[in-house]
Amino acid sequence: MSTSAIAYLWNAWKPALEILILWFVIYHIMLFFEGTRAIQVLRGIIILLVAFFLFQKLGLGILDWLLTKLFAISVIAILIIFHPEIRQGLARLGQRHLFITALREEELDQVLKEIAAAADALAKNKIGALIAIERNDPLTAYVASGVMIDARVSRDLIETVFTPNSLLHDGGIIIQNGRIAAAGCLFPLSQSQDLSRIYGTRHRAALGLSDETDALAIIVSEERQDISLVSKGRLYKDLSPEELVLKVKEMIKEKKKDA
Amino acid sequence: MPKDNISLSYRIMHWFTYHPWLKIISLLLAILVWFYVKGEIQQFNY
Repeated sequence: MSTSAIAYLWNAWKPALEILILWFVIYHIMLFFEGTRAIQVLRGIIILLVAFFLFQKLGLGILDWLLTKLFAISVIAILIIFHPEIRQGLARLGQRHLFITALREEELDQVLKEIAAAADALAKNKIGALIAIERNDPLTAYVASGVMIDARVSRDLIETVFTPNSLLHDGGIIIQNGRIAAAGCLFPLSQSQDLSRIYGTRHRAALGLSDETDALAIIVSEERQDISLVSKGRLYKDLSPEELVLKVKEMIKEKKKDA
Repeated sequence: MPKDNISLSYRIMHWFTYHPWLKIISLLLAILVWFYVKGEIQQFNY
């Protein structure tokens, strides 16, 4: 290799490193907004940025000037529009699960045991419940539709949330990174005609969620007093608490092998 | 969710299959931003 080639490579590593770092930061910003309502605003900003760059390269002075002024004002607009997301993002920076996205086996066991015990107790007491467990696809948009809780998963808390007449008993609980992220969350209803009429809105919501994401949804039926599990649009009904734990663990491991 | 026993091939495959479009768009944006800032720096001699 000639000296000039070495010198060229030596000079090229800095821009490459800078672009890599920029890529990493931009990707994580976009990943953070993915699944939230703010992603549409972000898409608009990206289109404006690309247009701005093109106008500059093509020498379209007026449009370039207009967009430059627009960006100067839009800093304040962005702060106002993204206020909840910025706050949530800064709060997440201080939390452990931003860096450790996976649970250890024993933590997962504990979380599932608590959920299964709560589901069993709720079924016996003829109380309906809907619990969604996040996997790879973010459920952030659905978390935003409910009330933030961010608490450790516990049987008592789940039972309390679904107690009839409690303020959060409508809607579902979302489990993210082994914690109860929110309660009273609204899920999309499945439009499937195949679902038997004996299943109510709760089952439709669980199927709707699994149609749009890879989340697992646990449903406790108040009428039939049974526990069901929905994954990838498939309904597993009449599960015992032990079967539920095994099935969820199996699916989480399956997912790990698949991807 | 369990972190243990995740193979290297799984991690590499996951990197490519998880939000591929987001990765492509963010790479294009990064290149665009880099060239824009470089142009600005050269223009104003920072």
